[in-house]
Amino acid sequence: MEFALYLIIFLFGILAGGLGATLGLGGGVLMILFFTLVVNIPIHKAVALSLLAVIASSSMAGSVYVHDRMTNIRLAMVLETCTVPGAVIGAFLALAMPGRIVEAVLATVLLYAGATSVRQVRSEKIVLHEDRLGIGGEYYDEARKSTVRYSVDRLKTGLFASLLAGLVSGIVGIGGGIIKVPIMNFIMKVPIKASAATSNFMVGVTAAASAVVYFSEGVVDLQMAVPTVFGIIIGALIGTRLLSQTQSPYLRTLLGFILLFFSGMMFLKAGGVLVW
Amino acid sequence: MVSAETTISWVLRVGVLLSATLLASGLFLGENVLWLGVLMLILTPFLRVSFAALYFLLHKDLRFFVITLYVILMLVIGSLLKI
Repeated sequence: MEFALYLIIFLFGILAGGLGATLGLGGGVLMILFFTLVVNIPIHKAVALSLLAVIASSSMAGSVYVHDRMTNIRLAMVLETCTVPGAVIGAFLALAMPGRIVEAVLATVLLYAGATSVRQVRSEKIVLHEDRLGIGGEYYDEARKSTVRYSVDRLKTGLFASLLAGLVSGIVGIGGGIIKVPIMNFIMKVPIKASAATSNFMVGVTAAASAVVYFSEGVVDLQMAVPTVFGIIIGALIGTRLLSQTQSPYLRTLLGFILLFFSGMMFLKAGGVLVW
Repeated sequence: MVSAETTISWVLRVGVLLSATLLASGLFLGENVLWLGVLMLILTPFLRVSFAALYFLLHKDLRFFVITLYVILMLVIGSLLKI
């Protein structure tokens, strides 16, 4: 029985890792839904395992995509000064909260993520102004055959949003790429490709900041960590080798509706309507 | 520039592989090794940030070196706090 459960976790990990690499998701959202709705373990344990999945997924993707030179390490570090404290506080808050509240927060995050995916909120606008902090960047765009230069708009708003993203990530166990990419792209006007690569860098660090809290509080299920991490690693390997990153608008919309559906499920679970 | 990125990608690869090896052997050797495997996985992004700090220091980019040190400090404080 135990073995069958671990096998299922492993197989789902492959799926989440593969989809994560393909859709540019950390896989955290999929893992947390799987652990709470399918495996049906207590939400705090589910959050801890999901954070491990996010770290594995981000590290695997980072080892491949770092070569793309789209990652803006300076911008990532500036934003991390807010996401990391947020992620630590979020983890402590979550551990002090009853499971149902965590589930309600997760449902809200899914609602937000689903809505932004369906509406395809994305900005193509690029701003270029005086870059006093030196956090603007440039990258070579393969499709346009030219170098794209950009500066960072509305840093203060971005920092505040990053703090919130860190908090949320610490509470519900997602790396928060699904929140960080819109923050960078929509608020700070960083091109979508640079936002995605930079977010991947940040997601692993944010997840690790919360994971260490769950770990030292003994919430990490060591046995279940094995199939989770292995599944993600193999899934990420397959995903990055076989498929290039797809940014198909149809896929995004579909993903949005799936997230909205699961948001509803989580609200029902948090409200005690959905019990099994 | 190239070497820094290549180094970071190697750090990530080695971190994940080491953690996976520990987790796999932990299945036979017991909880303590599993614990080490999970710790190694969590430390991998910490290493990534440390390498970024080193990179800024080597490029005499002191402002970003300090910013990165601050991030590391936050990470360390987070790991030392207890309820």
